[in-house]
Amino acid sequence: MLKYVLRRVLVFIPTLIAITLLGFVIMVSAPGDPVERMVVAAQAGGEIGSQTANQLEQKKFWNRKLGLDLPIFYVSLNSMSQSDTLYRIYDKNEQESLSRLSSQYGNWPAISDYFASVSALHQAHSSLKIDSSTAFGHDLNEFKEDVNTSFFESSSLKASYSLVVIESKFNKLQKLYSKPYMAPLKDELDIVIDKYKTVQETATPWKKYVPVLNFYSNNQYHRWIFGDGNWLTGAGSEFSRGIVRGDFGTSYTTKMPIQEVIGIKIFWSFFFSMVSVFLAYLISIPLGIQAAVHKDSLFDRVTTVMLFILYSLPSFFAATVMLMWFANPDVFHWFPASGVEPVRGFAENAGFIEKWWNRLPFLALPIISYTYGSFAFLSRIMRVSMLEIVNQDYIRTARAKGLTERVVIYKHALRNGLLPIITVFANIFPVAIGGSVILEVIFTIPGMGGESYNAIVNQNYPMLIAIFTITGVLTLVGYLVADVLYAVADPRISFSK
Amino acid sequence: MSKQQENNQFNFRQYAWSQFKKNKPAYVSLWILGTLALIALMAPIIANDQPLYTKYHGQTLFPAFSTQNTYEIKSEDGSVETIQLDIAKWKQMDLEAVIWAPVAYAPNKSDFLNSDYKAPSGEQFFKNQSGELVEMPARFRHLLGTNKKGEDVLAGLIHATRISLTIGILSMGIATLIGLIMGSLAGYFGDSKLYTTRGQFWIFMLGLILAFYYAFLIRADELADAIGTSGMAILLQLLLSLAIFIAIAVAFRYIGMLAGKLPLLNSKTNIPVDSLISRAIEILISIPHLILIISIAAVAKPSLVNLMLIIGLTSWTGIARITRAEFLKIRNLEYIAAGQSLGFSEARIIFRHALPNGVAPAFIAVAFGIASAILIESGLSFLGIGVPADVVTWGSLLSSGREAFQAWWLVIFPGSAIFLTVTVYNLLGEGVRDALDPRLKS
Repeated sequence: MLKYVLRRVLVFIPTLIAITLLGFVIMVSAPGDPVERMVVAAQAGGEIGSQTANQLEQKKFWNRKLGLDLPIFYVSLNSMSQSDTLYRIYDKNEQESLSRLSSQYGNWPAISDYFASVSALHQAHSSLKIDSSTAFGHDLNEFKEDVNTSFFESSSLKASYSLVVIESKFNKLQKLYSKPYMAPLKDELDIVIDKYKTVQETATPWKKYVPVLNFYSNNQYHRWIFGDGNWLTGAGSEFSRGIVRGDFGTSYTTKMPIQEVIGIKIFWSFFFSMVSVFLAYLISIPLGIQAAVHKDSLFDRVTTVMLFILYSLPSFFAATVMLMWFANPDVFHWFPASGVEPVRGFAENAGFIEKWWNRLPFLALPIISYTYGSFAFLSRIMRVSMLEIVNQDYIRTARAKGLTERVVIYKHALRNGLLPIITVFANIFPVAIGGSVILEVIFTIPGMGGESYNAIVNQNYPMLIAIFTITGVLTLVGYLVADVLYAVADPRISFSK
Repeated sequence: MSKQQENNQFNFRQYAWSQFKKNKPAYVSLWILGTLALIALMAPIIANDQPLYTKYHGQTLFPAFSTQNTYEIKSEDGSVETIQLDIAKWKQMDLEAVIWAPVAYAPNKSDFLNSDYKAPSGEQFFKNQSGELVEMPARFRHLLGTNKKGEDVLAGLIHATRISLTIGILSMGIATLIGLIMGSLAGYFGDSKLYTTRGQFWIFMLGLILAFYYAFLIRADELADAIGTSGMAILLQLLLSLAIFIAIAVAFRYIGMLAGKLPLLNSKTNIPVDSLISRAIEILISIPHLILIISIAAVAKPSLVNLMLIIGLTSWTGIARITRAEFLKIRNLEYIAAGQSLGFSEARIIFRHALPNGVAPAFIAVAFGIASAILIESGLSFLGIGVPADVVTWGSLLSSGREAFQAWWLVIFPGSAIFLTVTVYNLLGEGVRDALDPRLKS
C-alpha cells in the first residue's frame, strides 16, 4: 500500500513539472510590460520614493525584483545574429527593436554601439540649459518645445527598427539641430548617424540562419520555482523564495504577497465546495438507490427526467434566475444579492453561532447553485452503478438466502455501488480549491474563483498563474486521494503492480 | 426474407440508426438541432434590419443580400440620393414595396426609441414615415424586448445561435481530430510496438527542432507583423511557415532513414507511444478545464477563432482515452493481422482499417463534448473573457440582464437558448450511446 502511494507520488513529479511549465509559458506570454505597470503603480501609490525619484532607477529595481533581468529558461534556441544578453535590456520596446535590428543586420557589436550612441544622445538633453543666453533672440516657448520634440524623438529612436522610420527621424532631428541653441546635440547626432552607417556597412545577415543553443543556470523559470537564493535551502534570497517554498511573488494590484491573498481567499471556495459536495452526496445516494431499486417506476421516470434537466441547466443561468426572483426587491426580497456576510459586519459580542446564523441568508442561494449540478451528476452515476449491481449473481444469492430486501440493498449492493462515486470525488475536489469562477462572480463571493476573475480583469497575471498552479497541484493530490480511497474500499484492486 | 437471411445481412450502421430512432427524445433532439442549425445558417435572412426586397423610387433593391454598402438612387427630377445600407433608416423611408426579414432588426444596432429595457409586452415606440412618434406597429414589435441600448434581443439571439453552434462544432472538430489521432496511435502501438533505429530517431528529433527554428523562430518578426495587418496575411504567413516546417521535417526523415543503416546508429529503439500520450493526457486533465481555458484566454487576444482553438486544443483528452481503449481491443483482431500480413503500411491499417471500426464510441464523447464546449463558450462570454466586447452571444446577453433585473427577458430567453442547446446535445449523446452500446441501455 505504502509502496503504491510512493510510486504514484513519484509519477507526480514529471506531471508537476509540466504543470509549472505550462503556467510559466502562459505567464511569460501575457501581454503588457510588468515593469512599466509596477513603476506607474508605485508612483501612484507613492511607495517607492517621490515623484522626483529617477524613473530609470525604479525600472531597474522592479526589473530585478520581478526577476525580469534574467533569461527566460534553462536553454534558449536562437539565431547567431541575436545577442544572448538581450534580456538585460529592461524596456520591452527597446528589447524588441534591438532584436529586430539584429535579425536585419546580424552584427551585434555594431548595433550595440549604435544603441549606446542613441542613449548618449538622449542623455545629452540634460546638458541643455534653458537660460536667457542660449535662448537669446528666440522665443523661450519655442525653445522648450524644440527640446521636448528632440527628447521625444531620440527616445522613440531607441524603439525604432525599420530603415524608413529611423531615417525619417534622423532627418527630423538634423533639421531641428540646425537651430543654434540646439547645436550641442548636433555632434551627438552625427555620431549616431555614423554608427548606423557602420551597422549597415558591416552587416552579416547570414548569421540569422545559424541556430545557436545557449544554456543558462540562472533564469526566470528557475527563479520562479526556487527563488533567487540557494535553490535547495533558499538561503540568501533577496526578493523571492520560490514557489517550492510557497512564495508566489507579488500581486500587481495590492502589492501583497500572493500566497497571503490566496490564504485568505481559499476559505470561502473551500467552504462552499465542501458543503455542496456533502449535501450532494447526502441527497444523491438515497435518490440513486431508490431510482435503481424501483426501476421504471413512476418515481424513477420522474427523477430521471428531473435530474437530466438539472444536469443540463447551466449553473450561471440558474444562479442569475434565482437572484432575479429571490434577491430582487421588486419580486421576493428573501435573500441578499451579494457577499457572504452583512456589509456592516457583526455585533461586537456576536458568538460563533450567531455569526453563522446571520450569514445563512447570504449562503443559501450560492449553496443551492453549487449543489444542484453535482447532485444531479452524482445521482445519475449512482443510479447507473446500482442498476448494474442489482442484476448480479451475488445479489440474487443474497435474496435466495432469504435476506430482507433492506439488507440486500443497503448491505450487499450499496458497498459496491458506492465505488464509482469515490472516483467522482477527484473531479469535485479541484473545484473546491479553484472555486467556481462564474458562481463566485455572480454572488460576489470573496473566493479563489472571484480572485482569478479579478486577476484577469486587472491583468494581474502572477496571481492568475499562482491559482492555476495551485489548483493543478491540488488536483493531482485529489486524484491520489481518490485512487487510495478506491483501493481501500475495493479489495479486488491489488497494489502489486 | 427469412430470419436467417436477415441475420446474414446484419448491418451495424442500420441497426444503430434504427435503435437511435426508437429513442424518441434523442430523435426529437436531432430535429431541434437541425432547426437550430438552419436558424444559424439563415440568421442574416431571418433577422436583418435591411429589407430583403424593396422598391424605392422605381428601383428594385435587395439590400439584405447586397455586397456593396451604398446605393445611388436617381430620382425622376434627376437628383441623386446616396443610401448607405447599414445606417439608412429603412423603416422611415418611403418605400413603394417592401419585404422585411421575419425579424426586422439586426444585432448590435440600437433602436434609440426603444432603449432602456423595453419589455416584450410593454409599450414600444415607432417613428412613422412622417416622423411622428406612434405606438409600435405589430409587424415591428421587439418580440423579446430590448436591452439598455435598445438592441433587439430576438435578433441577437438568432445571430448568437451561429456563434454558439460554430464554436461548439468547430472546437469539437479540432478536439476530435487530435483525440482520434492520439488515441489510435496510443492504442494501436502501445508501449512496445513502434520501433525505429537509433539514428533515425535522433536525426528526426534534430530535424523537428531545426524545422521549428527555420519555420517559426526566425520568422517570428514576419508572423508578428502579419498579425497586425489582416487575416489573409496571417493565413499566408502561417501557411508559409507550415510549409517550411513540413519540408524540413520530411527531409530529415529521409536523412534519418539513411543514417539508420550506418553501424552504431542502426540499433533498434523502442518508442513508448502509449506512455507518452497517456502522460500528456494526465497533465491536461490534472488542470481543471475551466481554469486552464480561462488562463489561456486571458493572455490571448480576445477573438472567437482563438476561443475555438483554445477549447479545441484542451478538450481532446476524453475522445483520446475512449479511442485508445477501443484500439487496444481492435489491434488484436484478425483483420488487423490480415492487413499486416498483406504488407499494408501502419498508417493505412490504422486510419483506413481500424479507425472506421473504432470511431463509434468517440461519437458519444463528441456529442457531450459539444454540449460542454457551448457551455464553456457561453460561460466565458458571460464573464466577458476571451470574447470580443462587441460580439453578441447568448452568454453576453444573459450577462447584460444581470445589470437590470427588471429586464427578465434578458435573462430568461438567452438562458433558455443555452439550456435548450446543451440539453439537445446531451440527449443526443445519450441516444448515440444507447444505440451503439445496447448493453448500457436500461
